[in-house]
Amino acid sequence: MNAVSNGEFAKRMMLLARSADTTFKPTATYDPDGDCVEFLAKPDTFYAERIDDLVTVYYSQETGEVIGSLIKSVSKFCREVLTKMPGFRIEIHDGPVSLQHIFLARLWSANSEPDDMATLTYRKLVEVSRETTVEGRLCFA
Amino acid sequence: MADKKESRRDGLKVEAVNPVDGSTVEVFISSDRMQAVGRRSMAHAKECGFIVPMILQKPTAIFEGLRRDEDEDRDVAGWLCYCGVPPHAYHADGTQRDPFPNQVYLVFVNENKVAYNWRWEEADPNDAKLPQNHEQRFKKRAL
Repeated sequence: MNAVSNGEFAKRMMLLARSADTTFKPTATYDPDGDCVEFLAKPDTFYAERIDDLVTVYYSQETGEVIGSLIKSVSKFCREVLTKMPGFRIEIHDGPVSLQHIFLARLWSANSEPDDMATLTYRKLVEVSRETTVEGRLCFA
Repeated sequence: MADKKESRRDGLKVEAVNPVDGSTVEVFISSDRMQAVGRRSMAHAKECGFIVPMILQKPTAIFEGLRRDEDEDRDVAGWLCYCGVPPHAYHADGTQRDPFPNQVYLVFVNENKVAYNWRWEEADPNDAKLPQNHEQRFKKRAL
């Protein structure tokens, strides 16, 4: 497969966008190429900020509010959580899992202070993911 | 499982600059990723369709490897972060606007030359063409 021209690539992308359902739905998508789960609660364009080695938070360019996140090295994180907290297997199965459980797992396993910025951001992510009730598919391979 | 593997082979390749010698290499973007982005909004689709290839071909910098030990999964040979400042950005409805001030656009490419994530981030306050904290974050500037 050869590289397509920039014009052809843009055209294909526009066709995909125009044929898509125009009603935005919050999504959490596992990407095996990055071993990451990307969560998006709103269709706004966003800028990203890493809060730690696990999570990058997405802020709306329009409102500045938290609208999503990228959870990196998901497989590794889940393996570690299940080693430290075997009871969490009840919440994190091999399959769809509520994103709030991933954020809670990080909150509970981290030694951060209750009022530091990372903790507050995680709490906001728990809140946003709970409101949207989206699920991510995790890989324990 | 077989279906998933098959779908990951679907996608398109776009050209990118090779940080080693400035030659052209091909970077793959999966069909799954394109469809997921296309479903979000016209702005997201246009970022992927227009900005991502531009950053891959005309970056202001390319970084290699992450400094933090905890990110060992990403600390493999060939993992790259392309950085640039696009000439424009998009409103949520897809209409064009000026680029977001004091922000750069990053495209992340894994060791298999797959672009798997892209986004705006805050720029370095001392150099608006580079991402914030790039010296602490990345192991090496490759370009």
